[in-house]
Amino acid sequence: MFLFVVKYLNFLKSVPLLPHLFDGLLRLHLLVFKPSVLSLIDEIETEVSKWKGVKITSHKYGGLQFNYKQKEIGHIHGNGMLDVLLNKTSKQYISDNKRVREHHSIKSSGWISFSIVSNNDVQMALKLLAMAYNLRYKNQSDLYIH
Amino acid sequence: MGFHIVLVEAVAALRTSEIIGKTFNIVKTNLITILNNFIMNKIITPKFNGYAVSNLLAFVLIGLSKLLLDMRGLNAGIFVFSEFVIVPFLMGIISTWYWKNLQLTGRQLTGYSCINGLIAIALSYIFLKEGSICLLIVSPLLLAFIISGAFAGRAMFRQDNETLNVSVLSLLLLVFVVDSISLHEYKNEVSDQIIINAPVSKVWPLVVEYDRNTDPDKYWLFKAGMPSPVQSTVDGHYVGANRKCIFSNGYTFDEKIVTYDINQNLTFDITRQPRDPEIMGHIDIIRGQFILKDNHNGTTTLIGNSWYKLYVFPTWYYDWWAESITRNVHLRVMDHIKHLSEKK
Repeated sequence: MFLFVVKYLNFLKSVPLLPHLFDGLLRLHLLVFKPSVLSLIDEIETEVSKWKGVKITSHKYGGLQFNYKQKEIGHIHGNGMLDVLLNKTSKQYISDNKRVREHHSIKSSGWISFSIVSNNDVQMALKLLAMAYNLRYKNQSDLYIH
Repeated sequence: MGFHIVLVEAVAALRTSEIIGKTFNIVKTNLITILNNFIMNKIITPKFNGYAVSNLLAFVLIGLSKLLLDMRGLNAGIFVFSEFVIVPFLMGIISTWYWKNLQLTGRQLTGYSCINGLIAIALSYIFLKEGSICLLIVSPLLLAFIISGAFAGRAMFRQDNETLNVSVLSLLLLVFVVDSISLHEYKNEVSDQIIINAPVSKVWPLVVEYDRNTDPDKYWLFKAGMPSPVQSTVDGHYVGANRKCIFSNGYTFDEKIVTYDINQNLTFDITRQPRDPEIMGHIDIIRGQFILKDNHNGTTTLIGNSWYKLYVFPTWYYDWWAESITRNVHLRVMDHIKHLSEKK
């Protein structure tokens, strides 16, 4: 459903509040059918919010956005789809993980997508976000998260 | 001596009543304090305020929208885009302002927002006299925007940037006012066609009027309680004759035939709609039409057309429902005509 909308109705994302409606519906769907995924998103949010310099805002198309010094490192859509901004080297490093895919709409870029569905995915999601965070941190000649 | 005893007893009685009075006052004061504390600490909590204030605001804004439409001489029965988009979004933001110190998780915030939406739906049922099918249709829109507003509000209040918060709220209110005083008009036509394995001469009389359809409903909204068309009757076979479309709950659409081209075209205007809360003020069916085309192979193409006016916005949401419902009304009637025409 999510991929269908992203593929065929992507042009509607510029309609004010329509992406937010879609994200709200995805969250509502999770609440009714997979409430545990909402708890997993909460776990990730709680952990990432502890990282130095990270602020959590609302994503422009709905969902949670993680920023480091006002630059986005990733976001989670209402269905538990995590999008993270990496670079080519980092993408190669995780290419053996079949669950990590090209971004659902921005192909051939640093963006990757990962679906959070079970408890085991929390660690992977945090790892991906930490990679993106470290990339920004590196640019700031600062400390790393391991 | 006797007088002295009476006096002492009178003074004692007076003291007793004084003590009773004082005790009563103390008990009264304590009870009020306990009640006050109970109300303030157990009922009027931030959680309650989040629900109460956001719903109150929603009803005030809906009232204001009706007033603005009325002042502009527009149809105050219209439900504008803002009432289903801006208002629930604002409800989400306002509720989060009251809940901001509760440290809610995303899952809790989603759940609380759903409860908030369900309260709004229940209040609409009680005070706005909306039908249950209408509320079923509106609920995904309402709940999703309340959830989105709540998350937007959480992000806003986390940043604690008052200028930004006031700007966002002002912008939403501005959109609400502009939308409320704008002209809203929307008409649409739905067309469906089927092939009937019978000649036009056999199909035509059944298009004009048909016996009661007793087949079970297939469309999920009809199964959920929305009335479906079951029978059509006419009082004459000419232009100007009255036609009735009877629904499963006994409601009737009164129609007047405006085109009566035998074996080709039956067009009728709807002259009176039933006062059903499910449709009243939300949609007007203006005209209906059946076109018959002879395929010259013993079959007939039957085309059903309906024209309607919508009074609920945004149309990208409600017209999708209106089209779906109209289509299923068409198909129920046309399938019945097909079934009757193809009967040996």
